[in-house]
Amino acid sequence: MQFKQARLDNGLQIVGEVNPAAASIAVGFFARTGSRDETAEISGVSHFLEHMMFKGTDRRSPFDINREFDEMGAMYNAFTSEENTVYWGAVLPEFQVRLLDLLGDMLRPALRTEDFDTEKNVILEEIALYEDRPQFRLYEKLMTRHFGEHPLGQLVLGTRESILALKRDDMLAYFNRRYSPTNVTLVGVGNLNWDEFVRKANQMCGHWKPYEVGRQMRVQGPNVKAEAIQDAKLVRQHVGLMSPAPSGQAEDRHAAHLLSAILGDDSGSRLYYALIDPAIAEEASCSFDEMDGTGAFLTFISADPERAAEAVEIARREYAKFLEEGPTDRELEAAKNKTASAITLKGELPMGRLTSVGFDWVYRKTYQPLAEHIDRVMAITAKQVLDVARRYDILACTQLTLGPKDGL
Amino acid sequence: MAEEFYSHRFDNGMTLVAQRMSQVASAAFTIALPMGTSMDSPPGSAAIASHWLLRGAGDRDTRQLNDALDSLGCQHDEHPQIAHMAVASAQLGKVLPESLAIFADMIRRPRLEDGTFEPCRDLVTQALEGLEDEPMRKCNIMIRERFYPHPLGRNPLGDKESLAAMTPEGLRQHIARHFSPRGCIMAVAGQFDWEKLRGDVERLFGSWQGQEPPAIQTRPAVRGLHHLTKATAQAQITLAFDSATIQDERYYAARISEMILSGGMSARLFTEVREKRALVYSVMARYHYIKGHAGIFVYAGTTPEKAQETLEVTVGELRNLGKNILPQEISRSKTQVKSSLIMQGESTSARSDAMAADWYHLGRLRSLAEMSSAIDAVTMEQVEQYIAAFPANKLTALTIGPAPLNTDVLKRGS
Repeated sequence: MQFKQARLDNGLQIVGEVNPAAASIAVGFFARTGSRDETAEISGVSHFLEHMMFKGTDRRSPFDINREFDEMGAMYNAFTSEENTVYWGAVLPEFQVRLLDLLGDMLRPALRTEDFDTEKNVILEEIALYEDRPQFRLYEKLMTRHFGEHPLGQLVLGTRESILALKRDDMLAYFNRRYSPTNVTLVGVGNLNWDEFVRKANQMCGHWKPYEVGRQMRVQGPNVKAEAIQDAKLVRQHVGLMSPAPSGQAEDRHAAHLLSAILGDDSGSRLYYALIDPAIAEEASCSFDEMDGTGAFLTFISADPERAAEAVEIARREYAKFLEEGPTDRELEAAKNKTASAITLKGELPMGRLTSVGFDWVYRKTYQPLAEHIDRVMAITAKQVLDVARRYDILACTQLTLGPKDGL
Repeated sequence: MAEEFYSHRFDNGMTLVAQRMSQVASAAFTIALPMGTSMDSPPGSAAIASHWLLRGAGDRDTRQLNDALDSLGCQHDEHPQIAHMAVASAQLGKVLPESLAIFADMIRRPRLEDGTFEPCRDLVTQALEGLEDEPMRKCNIMIRERFYPHPLGRNPLGDKESLAAMTPEGLRQHIARHFSPRGCIMAVAGQFDWEKLRGDVERLFGSWQGQEPPAIQTRPAVRGLHHLTKATAQAQITLAFDSATIQDERYYAARISEMILSGGMSARLFTEVREKRALVYSVMARYHYIKGHAGIFVYAGTTPEKAQETLEVTVGELRNLGKNILPQEISRSKTQVKSSLIMQGESTSARSDAMAADWYHLGRLRSLAEMSSAIDAVTMEQVEQYIAAFPANKLTALTIGPAPLNTDVLKRGS
């Protein structure tokens, strides 16, 4: 396993983890842009643009792009979040140059009006699809409420109205503001030919013109309130709690990951024993989401509407108890071992390593070998876990419930 | 590189199959126990049992059992399938023996106490209710229920009445009858030493005794066309039609056809339904097989005003599948199938699942080389013959949405 790094003259950064024992490679362009970098008028443009990157370039039609991925037998896709847009493909090593030719070309899209108008309907279908998923609806609305005026509260998909109103030239202007080579990282992992990788990257991306790209950075403090959205069509009551957490750059993020595992992993956690084991809720989990300059703990509960209030009260009581006592030795050890094993399993697949190596670079400009990551997790103490829970106060949360009940 | 395969049948009827993967640190296992949802009596038994097994085993109570698994870092999952209850866990290879010992307790000495039964039933009841909030998942479960002979496709979560009727004693007997080394397959993939592994499994499971699991009586499938009215944002459309089983010599031709239809973004369904017409975000066709039966399952989700056109364009593509197949479509499909086999081959848990399935359905393990050459050998003519033998003219259809669709296109046949 070897770490490699290069930088093109225009500022595009290239990082790689070369593993000659792997059977495949995974390659991704990580653009540091997402819904937090939008304004209300163009809400949803980052994600819509991600779709448009598959719609052709000066030398490729949309059908060419799809066909070429499939000719390589690639696994491929793209995803957009509040702060990143990632385009990736995984192929057998023999297709390295071809994959890079395709992905690199895609990132300078033609943005043809005809394709834009057609794809708009696909985006509207995607918005409709998520309307039938209460957990997603809840998450979206909880983010909006918790982050308030902070740009992280902006919707990734946008709304039906914002998408209908969006113009092709608005998208082009956004692209010209956000896709500078200085704001994009190219990541390769697996059985990679590094010299060839850099050479091809330079051929595909070397001519991209650099310019200044910024981002509004703010730490989000607690936003303590409880709200309800009533939806009589739903059968279950879905509840979310969100509170501040360490940022993607903070040293205590490792402790925060262990904290969320101790509190709300899907087995053997505080929430598991308090809610799932006695079947007070059918789902109860806690996760830690590290973001650029800030972070969030998210607790999610799904319960019978008649028991949802009780479930939330129990969860809050468990958290309060934890804030008093901290983790037991056994809890801490179990959380560490589960994390180490999850990191190892994920790292055995090039696709798993791609996001780890990519986001390490995007958020922290560092490379962390898998073994070093595990070592850092294993070195966390009970005091560090308790400190992070107290410092960010997991009980100072925004609470939102969605379901047949109009409140808890 | 050829795979390092091993297999051993113990005197009690249990089979151990394994693949050593020297490049990884993890080891994953899948234990297929002959207590699938098709044997459920009453429906939902396996689903409740999958929770109950974690409520204490051997000399450990619920908390001790879960803590023991957690402290080994086991990423485990117990879930009912049609023919088996699959108990699977991935962990570091160095803790594999300890992990297997805990699972041996869960399988051979589960506590199954009266006091822990009720919450397990309650969790399954809640999951069943939760399906109402997830129309896509519900639709995909219900189409299998109608397509496969009863009870092979049944909803693993059972129904309200069957769950209510269950008793701890009844479920204990059901588990005792079906948890048996006869028909039990354990597949292990990753970092291990074969002689040690075989010895460990012998020590943990060798003295286990049990009967042959009872045969399943089936009734003909319901099939037909069915609509469920529900105020959803998208109409859910699922369709199914027969395909070749994994034992059938036309199996690989079936997989190539599946790819032509829905293998990637250049495949026909995605191109016609999404790329050209923007009718959907999600449209796909997937091959699925069980013992003795197989089908192509098609899914499309779209806003109600576009649902009729989506149905008609989708069915049109299914019916036209055999027409004008290009040589490039065949070669692309072959590359896709082979490439995904290699990439899945890097994951220890994907390998242990695939090996357990191979052993159950074929009685042997298929090497990558065997599968690759079988895929390469498929000709255009064989694909066309397969499609002619399994035409999409008698479609099973299930839709969920605000209003039923005009299904004339389904009745017309071809």
